[in-house]
Amino acid sequence: MTYSKPLPQADDLLMQPFWEHARAHRLSIQRCDDCGDGHFPPSPVCPHCLSEEQTWEPVSGRGTLLSWVTFHRAYWGGFIPDLPYQCCLVRLAEGPLIVANFAGDKPAHLAEGLPVRAVFHEMTEHFTLPKFIVE
Amino acid sequence: MAIVKSLSKVAAVIGIGESDYVGDHARVRAGERPHDSYGYAAIAFNKALKDAGIERDDIDGLIVGPTIAYERMGELLGINPTWGSQADAMLSVIEACMAIQTGMAEVVALVYGNDQRSAAIQYGGPEAMGGNMFLSYIYHAPWGFTSQGALYAMMFQRFMALTGCTEAQLGEVAVAQRLHASLNPHALMKKLITIEDYMASRYICEPLHLFDYCLINDGGVALIITSADYAKRNAKKKPVLIHGVGRYDANKGATSLEPRLLDFYRPAQERCAEQMFNMAGLGPKDIDAVQIYDSFSCHVPLALEGYGYCATGDVGRFMAEEGISLKGKLPVNTGGGHLSETYMQGWNHQVEAVRQVRGEGLGRQVENCRFVHYNSDVAGKAVSIIYGS
Repeated sequence: MTYSKPLPQADDLLMQPFWEHARAHRLSIQRCDDCGDGHFPPSPVCPHCLSEEQTWEPVSGRGTLLSWVTFHRAYWGGFIPDLPYQCCLVRLAEGPLIVANFAGDKPAHLAEGLPVRAVFHEMTEHFTLPKFIVE
Repeated sequence: MAIVKSLSKVAAVIGIGESDYVGDHARVRAGERPHDSYGYAAIAFNKALKDAGIERDDIDGLIVGPTIAYERMGELLGINPTWGSQADAMLSVIEACMAIQTGMAEVVALVYGNDQRSAAIQYGGPEAMGGNMFLSYIYHAPWGFTSQGALYAMMFQRFMALTGCTEAQLGEVAVAQRLHASLNPHALMKKLITIEDYMASRYICEPLHLFDYCLINDGGVALIITSADYAKRNAKKKPVLIHGVGRYDANKGATSLEPRLLDFYRPAQERCAEQMFNMAGLGPKDIDAVQIYDSFSCHVPLALEGYGYCATGDVGRFMAEEGISLKGKLPVNTGGGHLSETYMQGWNHQVEAVRQVRGEGLGRQVENCRFVHYNSDVAGKAVSIIYGS
């Protein structure tokens, strides 16, 4: 079956390491070699110190739930079968924020600050999407 | 922070013009395309010139909105200005003041047109307008997080969690603005709604309901802004002075939504408020009506707290008990705003502010209206303007 949801942008070279790590079931962020700032999404220079030397670093996958929404309208055809579906915003233990989905059904109880953990769903042969479960 | 004082009362709005939102919307819904973006802008420009009582050739500055090409707009209006720019509604007003203050121009026309409804512009998904500039669409697309409304829904969910503000309290925005629209002949949505209607309306991106989302319609807006001296000598109507402006941007961490999710834009709004109120020599208590950029209703509670109209954490109660309609303590979006009047991306708010200061608000006129505050937080830019007599 063809995958009909949006794929990562193939021409976004900065993000390629993130998706490669995801295929190996690792969540990752970009860390500055000079000042140590960790950030996501990636940047061509460190937004903190402007260094051009940065490295992708696997992180714990643990974080806290900051917020969540439920889509009742789909803006991409591929999401129509999922309606209503949730997106969540997580603050990783290492600092950066990331938007994702909950793995599986909507958690029964949601609250700001709940601990969450990344899990990995293989969406296609080449593309693995990190999602989160409430601990 | 430096306190900028020198832009206060340098410039005045002397002319306003709008296309026929109601008539054009009916035609668009019937399948017609009455005008393109340039046509709407040109019609609004002609009305603004007439309202100002000046001639086209008096204009020496031109600012064109972001949806149309600057050169083409100048070509079809027959204007070769000594100074020009392209900017959104709020920045256009500030740029006009700066151009006038520096002597680059004396009589500036601001024109905007948008055929977003008849051209079926989308503000979410693969064809999202401006999606490649708002990077969060690209980064969050694999998870299906790709609409303007979703960004604000995510923010308001957290705002409710932290402050105790409720969906029903947010509903006060849509209900108040619909009341205002019912008194505004230019407004598209005039049928009154109640909090019960609001709560019963469907979710688009929960916790936001249908009534929290702006309209999508065609139209054009134009303003004529001149030096205060020129306005005194030449304007047909009472000039509306720009008493203060402010701006502070929150770009850091924008793609992962940090400024809106962690701070609710509060630090940007506070610095913007300080600059603007200091420049004008005014404070929140002096303001008679507020116009707030409302692509989504939840801009309103954030701005009411951010600009000091109510205490931090108290906005839900403030909106429900003290009131933000013409019947309440602080009338907000007195023309109906983007939710119920017309979605002219902030331009219609400038027109409504001018009408209120002039006393042209008809059935929705705020009594003894001396000062009107406009503000917006679009894409992390906290921008603020005080209009007054």
